[in-house]
Order: sequence, then C-alpha cells, then structure tokens
Amino acid sequence: MSTIEETSRRRVEDYERERRASSKRGRRKINFSLLNIGKGIDMPFILIIFVLLAIGITMMFSASYPVAFYEIGDSYYYLKRQLIFAGIGLVIMIAVSFVDYHYYHRFAAIILGLSYFALMLVLVLPSQAGGVHRWIGVGMFGIQASEISKFAIILFMAHWGSRYYDKMDTVKYGVLPGAAVFISTAALLLLEPHYSCIVICALLTVIMMFVSGIKIKWLAIGAAALAVIIVLLWVTGGLTYAMQRMDGWGQALNEDLDRDMWNSTWQTRNSLYAIGSGGLFGLGLGQSRQKYLYLPEPQNDFIFAIVCEELGLVGAVIILLIFALLVWRGVIISLRARDRFGKLLGIGLISHIGLQVILNILVITDWLPNTGISLPFFSYGGSSLLTLMFEMGVILSVSRTSNIEKA
Amino acid sequence: MGANQRLRRRTVWLLIIILAVGFGAVITRLAFLQLVQGEELQRRAIEQQLSDTPISAKRGTIYDTNGKILAQSASVWRVVMAPAYFDDGADGDAQREFVATRLSEILGLDKAELLEDTKQNTYYVSVKRRIESTEKEQIIELQKELSEKYQKSGLISLLDDYKRYYPYSDLASSVIGFTGSEDQGLWGVEYQYEDYLAGTPGRIVSAQNGIQTEMPFDFSQNIGAIDGSSLVLTIDETVQSIVEKYMKQGVKDNQVLERGVCIVMNVNTGEILAMASVEGFDLNNPYAISDEQKKEIEGINNEYLIKNKYTEDPSTLSTEERDKLISKAKAEAESAALSRNWRNKAISDTYYPGSVFKMVTLSMALQEGVVNKDSRFGCSGAYQLYDDTIHCHNTAGHGSQTYQQCLWNSCNPGFIQIGQLVGKEKFWQYYQAFGFSDKTGIDLPGESDDQFFIHDGIEGNMYDTDLAVASFGQNFSITPIQMITAASAVANGGYIVQPHVVKQIIDAEGNVVKNVTSETKRQVISNSVSEEMRGIMEENCISGSGKNGYVAGYRVGGKTGTSEKLIDVNGDGADDYIASFCGFAPANNPQYAALVFFDAPTGGNYYGSAVAAPVFASIMSEVLPYLDVVAQYTEDEMSNIDTSAGAYTGMSVEDATKEAQGDGFNVTVKGEGATVIKQNPPTGAVIPTGGTIVLYTDNSADAEKVTVPNFIGFGVSDCNYVAAQYGLNVSVTGTASSSDSTAIAQSVAEGEQVDPGSVITVTFASGGIND
Repeated sequence: MSTIEETSRRRVEDYERERRASSKRGRRKINFSLLNIGKGIDMPFILIIFVLLAIGITMMFSASYPVAFYEIGDSYYYLKRQLIFAGIGLVIMIAVSFVDYHYYHRFAAIILGLSYFALMLVLVLPSQAGGVHRWIGVGMFGIQASEISKFAIILFMAHWGSRYYDKMDTVKYGVLPGAAVFISTAALLLLEPHYSCIVICALLTVIMMFVSGIKIKWLAIGAAALAVIIVLLWVTGGLTYAMQRMDGWGQALNEDLDRDMWNSTWQTRNSLYAIGSGGLFGLGLGQSRQKYLYLPEPQNDFIFAIVCEELGLVGAVIILLIFALLVWRGVIISLRARDRFGKLLGIGLISHIGLQVILNILVITDWLPNTGISLPFFSYGGSSLLTLMFEMGVILSVSRTSNIEKA
Repeated sequence: MGANQRLRRRTVWLLIIILAVGFGAVITRLAFLQLVQGEELQRRAIEQQLSDTPISAKRGTIYDTNGKILAQSASVWRVVMAPAYFDDGADGDAQREFVATRLSEILGLDKAELLEDTKQNTYYVSVKRRIESTEKEQIIELQKELSEKYQKSGLISLLDDYKRYYPYSDLASSVIGFTGSEDQGLWGVEYQYEDYLAGTPGRIVSAQNGIQTEMPFDFSQNIGAIDGSSLVLTIDETVQSIVEKYMKQGVKDNQVLERGVCIVMNVNTGEILAMASVEGFDLNNPYAISDEQKKEIEGINNEYLIKNKYTEDPSTLSTEERDKLISKAKAEAESAALSRNWRNKAISDTYYPGSVFKMVTLSMALQEGVVNKDSRFGCSGAYQLYDDTIHCHNTAGHGSQTYQQCLWNSCNPGFIQIGQLVGKEKFWQYYQAFGFSDKTGIDLPGESDDQFFIHDGIEGNMYDTDLAVASFGQNFSITPIQMITAASAVANGGYIVQPHVVKQIIDAEGNVVKNVTSETKRQVISNSVSEEMRGIMEENCISGSGKNGYVAGYRVGGKTGTSEKLIDVNGDGADDYIASFCGFAPANNPQYAALVFFDAPTGGNYYGSAVAAPVFASIMSEVLPYLDVVAQYTEDEMSNIDTSAGAYTGMSVEDATKEAQGDGFNVTVKGEGATVIKQNPPTGAVIPTGGTIVLYTDNSADAEKVTVPNFIGFGVSDCNYVAAQYGLNVSVTGTASSSDSTAIAQSVAEGEQVDPGSVITVTFASGGIND
C-alpha cells in the first residue's frame, strides 16, 4: 500500500510540474466568473441543485416537524439547522467551484491517507447507537468517516486513471491499485461496521475502473467470483443466515412478526405503509400521517417515504426525474471536461449521487436491508449535506473548464 | 480505439445503467408499492394510525304490553388493555407479569391466559366485560399504580358497557330469553329480535401518533353508538304471573315430570298474552340449574353409566377411566338439564293432541256437511277396524250419539266414524289448512315441525287406521302453539291468525319503528260452523267432559285431552300421558283462548279433565276479570254471585255497618273509633254475597293478620263456612255446581298472612272424567 501511495505522490508532483509549465495557457482557458453565462459555472446544473435543495429542505421540514415537536418541543428544530447547513453548504459549493480542481491531484494520496486515519480513529472512539463506530465528533460537528472514504476513493481513482490512462488495461495499473484501495477501505468499514458503505465503495471503485478503461474481462472475472461466492453461501445455507441477520430484511410486512424482529423492521414496515398510503397523487404536502412518530427518524434516511406519502407516485417520479436530470447534466459536464482528471472526477462524483439515490430508495422500499444510506439534498444532517455541497462545488469547478453551452 | 473515445463510450453505458436500470428499478418498485399494494398498505397504515375504540350500544328494553319492564340494560364497565404499550425486554416482562397478576386478582381471571394477552401486539384486547363498580374502583387503583410505577398510562382502560337485568327473574323466561357474554341475544325474543335490540356499536376513531397519544392538531371522529330499539311484547306481565302461579301449583300438585305449558292468546289478533313453560329458569342466571337437577347430577353412578349406555360394565374399567366417564356423563347431564330448562315447550315440543283435536275433526265434518242433526254415531266401548280394536275410555260404551254428544262424551269410536265421513284426503287438506303442517311462524326461536303420517314417502298419505286414530288426535304430533292457533280458528269464525309475541318496536328516541299488525292467514271454516262449534264447546264446559274447565260467571268453551306419550318417563313400567285442556272465552264472542298442558303428570290422575281443566279454570277466573271480560252469570250462580264492596270509609260506624249489611255483607268492626277510616276488602273489590267486610275505626288493628287456612279438598259450602270462621271471603270459581265438587286450588296459599276480610279465590272441580 505504501508503494502505491508513494507512486501516487510522485505522479502528482510530476503532474504539477507539467501544469506549472503550461500554466499560462491553462489559466486563460478557465473562466472563474460566477455570472458570466456560457463561460463560468454550469447554470443548468446549479439550477437543478437549487431546485433539489429547495424541495429537499421543504420535504425535510414537512417530515421532521412532528418528530421535532414531540421529541424536542420545537417544530422548527431540524429546519433551522438544515437551513444553516444549506447556507454554509452553498457558500462552500460556490467557494469550491472557484478552486481549480487540478489542485486536488496533489491531495489524492493525502486524502486517501486521511480516509484510512479517520476509519481507524472511529474504531477507538466511543460507539454510537446500535454499537456501530461511524462518527467522528458529535452533533453538528460530527462527520461520518465513510463520507471521507467515498470521496477519497473517487479522487484517488480519478487521479490514478488520469495519470496512467494509457496503462489502465494492464492488471498492475488498472486492477491492482483500485482493488487494493477498495479492499483495505472495505476491511476497515467491516470493523465499524458499515455494510452499505462497503457496497457504495465497491460500486464506486468498479465504476471508476470501468470508466478509466480497464479490460472488461477483469470486471467479468470479479463479477463471476462474486457470483461463485454467493452461490457457495447459498448452497451452504450461509446466505439465509446472513439474510436473517440483516435486521429482518424482507420481513417488514409479515403480520406475525416475532417481537424481537419487530423493532428492527418497524422502520421499514412504516416506510412501506407511508409509501403505500401515498397512492398516485399522495395525501398532500404536509399531510403525512406516518411521520407522527410511526416512522422513526423520518427526517433522515427514510425521508423519501414521507415524500411518497405526501406527494404520491407522481411527486416521487418528478423528484427522481430531477435527480436523473442532475446526473445527466453532471455526466455531460464531465464528458466535456477539458482533461481526463476532470472527466473522471466529475463522473465519479455524479455517479456517487446517483448511487445514493437509487440505494436509498431501494432501502426504504425493502429491497435492500436497512443500513443507513442518506438521500442527497433531502436527508437531514450537517456533515453529509456539507460533503455533498463540497462535491457539487467540485463538479461546478469542472464545469468551468467544460466545453459546453451553459445557458 | 482511443482512450478518450473509450471513456466516452463507457460513460454513456454507465449513464444508461444508472438511469435505466437504477432509476427504472426504483420507479417500478415505487409504482408497485403505491399502486398495486397501495390499498393494502394504506389499510394497514390507517389501522395503526387510528385508534379505534368501540363504544357499546345500549341494548333495547323489553316491555310487556302495558309498559312494565321485562328486560333492561344497566351501565357497567368493560376492561380493555393495550399490550403494545408494554416496554420491550426485561422491563416489559416485569410489567406484563405485574399487570397479569393484578388483573387476575381483581377480575378473577386466569393469570396464564392474561399473560398471553399481554404479549399481543395490539392496542385493544378486551379483558373483561360487565364489571361492577367495586371492580371498577380497583381497576382505577391499578391504573394509578401503573402510572406511578412504570409511567404507563393507557395500558388498562375502562369503557362503558351494559349489563342485562330481568326484573321478574323467571317470569316468561323461555319467551324473553337471555343474552350471552358479548351482550348478544341467545334465546327467546332476545335472540329473535337481536337485530333490533342490539343497536349499532359506535366507535371513537381518532388519529393518533406512533406513541398512541392523540394528536393535538388532528381529527377525532366520534361515531356514536346507536342504542338498540325496544320491544313491546304482547305478553301481559299480570296474565303471565297468574298463569305461572297456577301452572307451578299444577305441576306440583300433579307431580308433573316433564313440566307444564300454558299459552294465553287473543283469538282474533294472535297476540300471545302469556306463554309459560313451567318450571322455567332464572333469566338473571340462566346457567344455573335447580337444586334437584344438581342433586341428580351429583348422584351419577355406575348404574347411570350402564343405563345411559356410557359403558356396558363399569367394573371392567380402571378407576381413572370410570371417573372420566362419570365426569363426562355429569357434563352431558348438566348441559341436558340446561337445555331442558331453556326449552320453550310451547313451541318446541310436539305431542299427540289427543281429544282436544276432536274440535278440529268435528269442525271439518261440519264444514264439509258430512254430519247433520240426524247423524248418529254408535259406541259399544270399542271400535273394530280390521284387526285392530280401538277402545273408548268408557268401556261400557256411549250408545247412540249425535255428533255433539260425541264431543261432550269425548267418544273415540264416535270420532272414528266422523273421521271416516270426512275421508282421508279431506282430513289431510283440513289438517294443512288449520296450519298443522307448517310452523306457525311465531316470532320466537326453536319452533318445531309437526309429524304427520307419511307412507311411501308422501306426507299426508294415510291408511284407514291412521285416519281412525288421527280423528281423535293420536299418532301424529303437533306443537301446543299450533293447537291453540287452530283452536282460535275454531272459535273466532274460522280465521287462522298469526301468533306473535312482539306488538311494537320502538327506537331509542321513542319513535315507533314497527307496529306488528294482526295478520290473518286464511279462513278454514265458515262463520256459521265456528258459531256452532262455539255452542257445542260451551255446552261441553257446562255439562260435558270439559265441565272442570268451567269458569264461574263466564261463558267458556273448551275441550279436554289426554294423550299417550308412548314413553315411560318415570320408569314405573307404564307409559306416561299428557293432560291438556284448550278453551276460549267468552263462548258467544271469543276473545281469549288458553291451552293448558301437563307433560307426564304422575300424581295419580292423568286425565286432561282432572289435571288440566281445573288449572285452566283457575287461570281464566283471574285472567278474564283482569282483561275486563264482562261476566255473565247463570241463574244458578246468582246464589254464589260476587258483589262489589261499597265505599264505607269516612262514615260513622253505625251508618257504615247499616249500609254494608244492606249490601249483603257480614260486618266486623275493628278498633275503638267512631268513624270508619279503612275497610277491607277495599271499595270495588269483588266478594261473595254474604261475605265479610272488615271496618277499621283506628290504626290499632292494622297489624292484625289472618292466617289463610287450607280450602283444598273441601266442598263449596265447607269452604264458605271455614272462610267465615276466619273472617275471610271465598270467591268461588270452577265447577262449583256439581254435588261432588271439591276445591282443588286456592289463590293464596295455606299459611300466608293476609288482612281480615281478604278475598281468596278457590277453584272447584268435580271428579275426573275419563276422556
């Protein structure tokens, strides 16, 4: 691992030297003006972000006020904080969009190191509810170590893929570094434990490898290996055991649920009740009943269930389409990026958003076990929102160099 | 392929995968949940979101025809539990244990079962219904303990509930019926009119949050309980009480094994004024059996097991097996005893109507015109039909008789001949027309079907011998209610009316929901035939076989009946009998019919004339005046006529004495005062001429009582003499004109304390007449 980091550091230095050499030309091409349409940041993208953030905060408020009222005594508790985070997040996003993303080349290895440090640090820090070790710091100032890890993996893979774009079809450059980063990160996440993050990291690693251009057969071999393992688990009965262990996954609607399983499936069950209650057009904004202490923490991971209940299938699909638009625009920005690092970084970050949305909804609809995946722009939480806005800032930074019509 | 091109292509693939597969899957899943499963999920969501608390509806009241309350619901409470409030884990287990223990102590329930209830995952478990206020106080204590000890409120709650009370306990028990543990009608009109009586339970539906407190800013819907409608019965409490009093006496006097039945019915409307199966049961405690029944069940032994075919030889069984069989036999005997107590014999029992049916046979013959004043029916004491010899009760024979005499003599051979004139087909047609082949449709549960002759699978297909015995009411079974309905038709001009016990249904606000109108089904005999039958039957009660059913002062018509049960109830080796009497009054303008029926009398006499007729007379002698039927005395009776006591109160002693003596009474003055302040019997009371009037002049003699002597067994003059000795008055009823008349019943039992001058109604009967 240390060799990879050293190599990576060396390559960053190489790249910086190259960049400085061509700095005059490069600086001229990057337009840092905020309002200069067509030349600055990508306006459609930032518009979509604003729309999502507005809807997200509205829905977060709608979902959270009963809980805030009953548990804290202040219906606006979560709204006030989320507004503050959103404000800070917007400042961060704009600020980050002014930072030349090439600058991150040199931090790829450092941030990866920071990720490892954070992952190890949480293990020695006191555990949170449920006996998991995920958070550094507390309350408003807390951050999940895994948030750093996901960004670190994207950044490192983008950095590596752009540095050795011509060698990505080899095992040594294409497969091994990514695999090593993922496996080491996954091993630490396993100790937290934080399974859903492992899944996201795995998917992000694969996406980055795939886009960077590794040979498809390696992905095929990886998929085959995974399939073999699953079949083996299935044959030996290990899979059933694992599924049973996954907090009553798929049991949410079982009427004769064991009382032991009841608590663990309670959230998912009520999520399904909320979604089902929404029907086609929903009960109307603010009209959710499930948020009245039935669905625990409706402002967090399960917020989309309340969205479905209040806005119905129509509202949910419209929001999903806006997310799809965001992903689409993010991909366009990335593909038109001036260089390979920008392309890979943008694709990695926007894929992350897409994955979060998909996995979050699969969790709340009981197709995946309930393992804590937040919904971008919607879920309450300072650190995740700030991280998200930072990432959006990075994509906006990429858009400044992007060769697209930004009206 | 260049690196950039590959990146672009792979990114497009990635985009397609994320958008098409990822978002596609997500939207599909949402659509499935929201559109396909939506309804079910929403239902389950609403189930938990709404706290749905049932409110019991108050069950309607049952009134007698005059508005006296026969059944009423009073407020009590229901204990309910919301076990979902229990905490999880060890805390919850401790809470459950505590609650189950305390509830079992307070409510006397099984703790293990309660513990099971506490493990349910619901917010509504009904723990116990109908607790009284002492238990309610303890439950409130428990609620306080729970909130202090565990900070739990709402775990145990009390809801309004109702309990059924029957003020007259065993009066008309098989008619009124009773309710079950869930307030549902199980028997009688309580069962029959369940839909009206029950009402609609209400609900308090309120939105509640996940911790089941009601939400401060949401809706609560109170769907009020709609209280049940009330019933006004045609049953008259007074008539019913009179009926039961005499029926109980009759059952006791005649050692009746299988209870007695009496129905009093308005012949023109079909309203049932009284319907008794005696002994009945205590409506307030319908599952209690009598001490005698208890004793019998306790006495179950090996012999009983053999006799009732539980086992052939108990000695081959182990003690354990034997005990098991005995407890099984006891359980079965107890439930048999209960169903016996509940059974409404008036509509559920079928019996051979016997000679009572002769009025129907004769009506058929008259309607068909097959008999006339010249017809003569010979009786030599027996009738030979093919190989069978059918005996008349008078083995000496009645000789040559008119059809009227056949009825007065209750002559079997005479009726065989009348039946033959009617013919098998006509007989069956009239049988159906009189309503015997169908249930009467009375508004009570448990009515039985008749059993008539079936040959070759065709009902009503009779052989010659069938017709012969059927014409005097043997070998086919009908219910008492069918018999009295047919008898009413004989009396009322030939109309089959619909018997019913409910005349009005009133909702909780007092609006009339339904008025039961009298329904006439059809006319079976003409008015003129009915009129002739009335005359024949009246004469029967004056000089014929029915004279023990005679009611002094009233024109009654009736017919006795004694039928074989073909079952040996008491095991004395002889078949037992049913003694019955069916009559109506007044004979010239019938208003009320009564059927008296004793099942298996074993007091030495089993003839309808000796057992049932006098009871009929006793009942009618009290019921008819109560129902304001005008008395029409015969000249003979004027000697025994009753006079109304005048108003003597307020007069001076001298004036009052003079006036009372002038009215034909003996006068006894009690007290030292100069003015009469009270008299007994009171003004308007009916007492025999020559009876005693007691005049009180002060309050000193108030406490003075007379012990009623025994009148039973004495003749009319002896009774009057004894009464005079005691300072009492005897009102004579029944057959008092015969020289061999003896008292068979008295309205106030021997040994009771009454005021001097009180009127005791004594029923007389002449010796049993075989029929």
